[in-house]
Amino acid sequence: MTTLISASGLSKQFGSKLALNKVNFEISKGAPVALVGPNGAGKTTLFSLLCGYIFPSAGELSILGHAPGSSKLFGQLAALPQDAQFDPRFSIIHQLSFYGRLQGLSKAKAKQESERVLELVDLSAAAKQNPTDLSHGMRKRVAIAQALIGEPKIVMLDEATAGLDPIHARAIRELVSSLSSETTFILSSHDLTELERLCGQVLHLDQGILSEHSAQSQSQDDKRFITLQLSQSYPNVEETLQALPSVIKVYMSQAKEYVVEFDACESAFDILLLECCHAHNWQYRQLINGHTLENQIFHKN
Amino acid sequence: MHLKRLANIASFELVRLFLTKRGLLAVITFSICWLLILRYPIAGSVSLLNSPDFAGFFDSVFGAIGLSKLLSWLAAELAVYWLIALYSFPIFCLFLCGDQIVGDKQRGTLRFLSLRATRAELLIGRFIGQVLILAILLMLTLSATLAILTYRDPALLATALPHSLLLFGYLIVSVMPFIALMSLINTFANSARLAFVFAILFFAGGNIIVGILSWQIPALGMLSFIFPGYQLDQMAGQNAEAILAIGLPLAQTAVLLLLAQRIFARSAL
Repeated sequence: MTTLISASGLSKQFGSKLALNKVNFEISKGAPVALVGPNGAGKTTLFSLLCGYIFPSAGELSILGHAPGSSKLFGQLAALPQDAQFDPRFSIIHQLSFYGRLQGLSKAKAKQESERVLELVDLSAAAKQNPTDLSHGMRKRVAIAQALIGEPKIVMLDEATAGLDPIHARAIRELVSSLSSETTFILSSHDLTELERLCGQVLHLDQGILSEHSAQSQSQDDKRFITLQLSQSYPNVEETLQALPSVIKVYMSQAKEYVVEFDACESAFDILLLECCHAHNWQYRQLINGHTLENQIFHKN
Repeated sequence: MHLKRLANIASFELVRLFLTKRGLLAVITFSICWLLILRYPIAGSVSLLNSPDFAGFFDSVFGAIGLSKLLSWLAAELAVYWLIALYSFPIFCLFLCGDQIVGDKQRGTLRFLSLRATRAELLIGRFIGQVLILAILLMLTLSATLAILTYRDPALLATALPHSLLLFGYLIVSVMPFIALMSLINTFANSARLAFVFAILFFAGGNIIVGILSWQIPALGMLSFIFPGYQLDQMAGQNAEAILAIGLPLAQTAVLLLLAQRIFARSAL
């Protein structure tokens, strides 16, 4: 797989605060990559370093073989930076066309491309409006549209769906999903369910230290996991599940949610589990093959 | 530096001034001020400067302040225009060019732009844009002055036209270091208003410091060369050598832009 981004020993210090501590990772072309972590963990710092807005205190960072901020990356790497606003004095189409021209498109092509990306975020009707005439959510969608101009190879979206209504948040998720065959997205969000649906690789940052996870079901050689979410609380669930054949361990990861660790030899364990729910008249909400991303990141069991 | 991107950034500045509400408001204010200047000091200059009652007075006053060469100009309108434009455009420039990148930096718009143009291109492109704006405004005011002059005596246009082109050249070069100074201040100021305050502090405080230093060590009087507009007094009377009238502002511009580029290249967006 083609490596798009590689970081080695990447550190960033703001005064006495170490925002990123010797971070190493590689991102290859393919499924979207999630960047998660609590507030102040260093996500935006990492985004800013990747975009060349700030410079590392130590370490190496390479994007498509170039340093961040290099002119070779213009049109190849785009981003939705957190809190960046458009110029309030110009119409949306005027600004997007200007960005297109800076990326090397002709005047006519830049306008056409701007109209295309506005249509992708369902904002064609707002093209001639000024940013101040738009709601916060609409401005956010325009900012996502600017990141799609010229079909870049890498698109970084920092909190893309934060502040969007559920319908448009879903539309953005579908857009990311539909474009991810051509473009590699790096998404930062606090919505782990959203990232779980979209992403393969997960970069988890906490206090400047990075760890990697997989958003897909995880299994180990000799054991597997199933996460069972029940619609309400029932008595003795852990004990009942523990009594099932091949079960190694059961624990409650959060209210009404149980993680069952079982022997990998038991291929029909999911059927057994559903039968158990049925026998005890437990209404289940969801059965997840493996750990949820949330449990992977936050549960220490 | 990519020339097409530079041209795009510079031309966007023209649109910002002439096609946005705030820009148009600035142009209208500027036009009203110049209409008054054209109507009174410039249009009235001929009768005043050629009046036998005031001839002796102007000879002595202009001679005392080194402007006697201006009295020999056939086109008195141009002489008055030259004096007013030479001092007013640099000051107007500090207002007009106060927000080259600072607004976009505060708003975060530079984050969109810096993924499509290098920081040097953004800085230099906007500087060129501001120079173009000032050139257009200078052209407009100069053309209006020529129109007044031609209305009085059409025969004067033939001699006034090449002369006015020369004046245009001197004026545009004179304002360049002022624009570059604002480019530099924009790299570290937090608002256009603060950029203007920094510029005033630079001229007022800087001149006091250089005055004190040169009083202690006369050789440090050379530091006055760092201030844009150092040569204006001598240029006003057409007494400045080309190296001072053209060379000094160009050198100041180059140094200020280089400093601005160095600071901007290292600053966080």
